[in-house]
Amino acid sequence: MDRPSPFEDQLAGLLPRLRRFAHALSRNSADADDLTQATIERALRSRDQWQAGTNLASWCYRIMRNLWIDTARATARRTKREAPEEEGLSVAQDPRGVMDASVDLKRIMSAMSQLPDEQREVVALILVEGFGYREVSEMLGLPIGTVSSRLVRGRTALLAMVGEE
Amino acid sequence: MTEDEKLFAWLDGELGPAEAAEMEAKVAADPQLARLAEQHRGLGARLHGAFDPIARAPVPEKLRAAARPPAAIIELAAERQKRRMPSLPQWTSLAATLAVGVFAGTLLPREANAPVEVQGGKIYAAAALNHALDTELASAPTGDVRIGITFRDHAGEICRSFSSTVSSGLACRSGGRWQLKGMFAAPEGQGNDYRMAAGVDPNLASLVQSTMAGEPFDADGEKASRDRGWR
Repeated sequence: MDRPSPFEDQLAGLLPRLRRFAHALSRNSADADDLTQATIERALRSRDQWQAGTNLASWCYRIMRNLWIDTARATARRTKREAPEEEGLSVAQDPRGVMDASVDLKRIMSAMSQLPDEQREVVALILVEGFGYREVSEMLGLPIGTVSSRLVRGRTALLAMVGEE
Repeated sequence: MTEDEKLFAWLDGELGPAEAAEMEAKVAADPQLARLAEQHRGLGARLHGAFDPIARAPVPEKLRAAARPPAAIIELAAERQKRRMPSLPQWTSLAATLAVGVFAGTLLPREANAPVEVQGGKIYAAAALNHALDTELASAPTGDVRIGITFRDHAGEICRSFSSTVSSGLACRSGGRWQLKGMFAAPEGQGNDYRMAAGVDPNLASLVQSTMAGEPFDADGEKASRDRGWR
């Protein structure tokens, strides 16, 4: 009987949201899915460290954010030398009527990737993932005032880049 | 909080009612502020419009597979868990644990509404657990105790697995009662967002596997069996 345990069930249930968060952090879909995969693998390896009864979603988001921080600089350096983020937007091939959205997705992802990391993660967690300020402050280990001021700077810069179209 | 921060906190629903009302009045009275609020609402909507389809799209197979490692890995994890927790998949250790239950049962004063009672060296379901085993159908759960699967053991008796927020286990018919074959405590603090219904304790899964003869009953078989008094 190789029935998956609740941990795998819950993790699988989180995949759509984790993928969305990965897209909000990454330059393109290929990177986003690599980040999602690395997060799943890390979560499965570290499952002993997850305390049952605590929020698995927050725990996974934290893993993803840390992995992203670890690789963000290296990736940014590498992709700057490569072609811009045109390729790899596999969401654009999704047949479920998201074509229009995916055009804007490309534009938004490109703008998001120009935000400093510490602003991008706060914008992603609050404006994309819908977490509250306090949850994000706990997740990132930052004072709530810091979360709030980074969010102001991040969303203001983002509006300047993509607004008024 | 700066005025900007306060405006955004208001937009994000982070202000208390009094402050929110104050900010609402302020924005209403100031066209420039109102325009800024509008632009940022639009930005929020655009972010959702761009990213939310990803959460609604099918998850690529590669990622789904990564989240469901092969059985061997799960078994390894279960093995680890067994080493950490009292393990009872085998009849020998199960018997030892039941003996501990008997011992404790005879020493402890009987608690009203306890889910088990000890009689003649055997542990039987009692109170709400007994009621659930007698009446609940897996297909139509009503109470705190959920029935998992119903099947016959190698002696031909009907057995039912069950779970609640605090424990899960297996009981089989014996002398017109539900005799406990094993009962496992749920890990601490898994009452709410980590539901037992999502999966089975590996110890229980192993006990069920060694007890079951043939296939578990389907919904009709379960109901018919109940109507016959679990015979």
